[in-house]
Amino acid sequence: DPDAVAKAFVEHYYSTFDANRPGLVSLYQEGSMLTFEGQKIQGSQNIVAKLTGLPFQQCKHNITTVDCQPSGPAGGMLVFVSGNLQLAGEQHALKFSQMFHLISNQGNYYVFNDIFRLNYA
Amino acid sequence: MALPNQQTVDYPSFKLVIVGDGGTGKTTFVKRHLTGEFEKKYEPTIGVEVHPLDFFTNCGKIRFYCWDTAGQEKFGGLRDGYYIHGQCAIIMFDVTARLTYKNVPTWHRDLCRVCENIPIVLCGNKVDVKNRQVKAKQVTFHRKKNLQYYEISAKSNYNFEKPFLYLARKLAGDQNLHFVESPALAPPEVHLDIAAQQQNEADLAAAAAQPLPDDDDDAFE
Repeated sequence: DPDAVAKAFVEHYYSTFDANRPGLVSLYQEGSMLTFEGQKIQGSQNIVAKLTGLPFQQCKHNITTVDCQPSGPAGGMLVFVSGNLQLAGEQHALKFSQMFHLISNQGNYYVFNDIFRLNYA
Repeated sequence: MALPNQQTVDYPSFKLVIVGDGGTGKTTFVKRHLTGEFEKKYEPTIGVEVHPLDFFTNCGKIRFYCWDTAGQEKFGGLRDGYYIHGQCAIIMFDVTARLTYKNVPTWHRDLCRVCENIPIVLCGNKVDVKNRQVKAKQVTFHRKKNLQYYEISAKSNYNFEKPFLYLARKLAGDQNLHFVESPALAPPEVHLDIAAQQQNEADLAAAAAQPLPDDDDDAFE
């Protein structure tokens, strides 16, 4: 069930982000790319360096929607997430959208493409 | 510029955008002004909190609609919608965090891309903290770009009014404009060593008399 896989992935991704950001490294590979607020970053080490280097410590992602589609002949999957992100010390939560392209590698998924945006005018 | 759900006034008012790295004290700074804090409004689609800050001058009242982010700058640059129609600006850095000063040229560039030729004040915040990483004499960016610079300490209210007075004078085109009454401020939360700060101000004045170093934006380590 792709929807169940997508939901499980999303829960795992954001709980890792919120509790142990360096742990995200295992979800990416060398060919992976992240576009974070317009900045392109390639490779699992660089991606995790970007995410762990963000100038806030505690944060909490609250997921509003998860949509997914099968993608490509090799069992890939597109996952689109929207939600709110609360930073410690900030009064107002930020809205965000994030898209993941997951690639299946012998039954294990990793993130090949990842695009993140805050949603505001 | 007020938000659609915010009261407008019949005296001169201006949109003031505050930029600078996350954690430099932008929100703490605007919250010191108590009536502004009381009347602030949040606009979720833009992700901005607007504090209306009134000051009393010899020419009457003036209001700054201070635009403060909800922390989006911690993710990257801000959208144009935050800057657009900005009439004056404060760029804030933290004198105890070198990187926040290194990033000032980027904030200045982003700001000027949308807001050409507006009066800008550079503020070095947290001068009450003992271990400064950016000394007064190392602050030279404002001299290259013709900005005003003030050392401030939001938590002690040190120099709180200075940036607003500078901007009010520029916007009014009247160098003799002055404040005739102080706005109500939150009580100081920290003590500032006035003697030490007077030395910093003297260092700053002495540095201003020196020729500018060659482009040292990148050399500042």
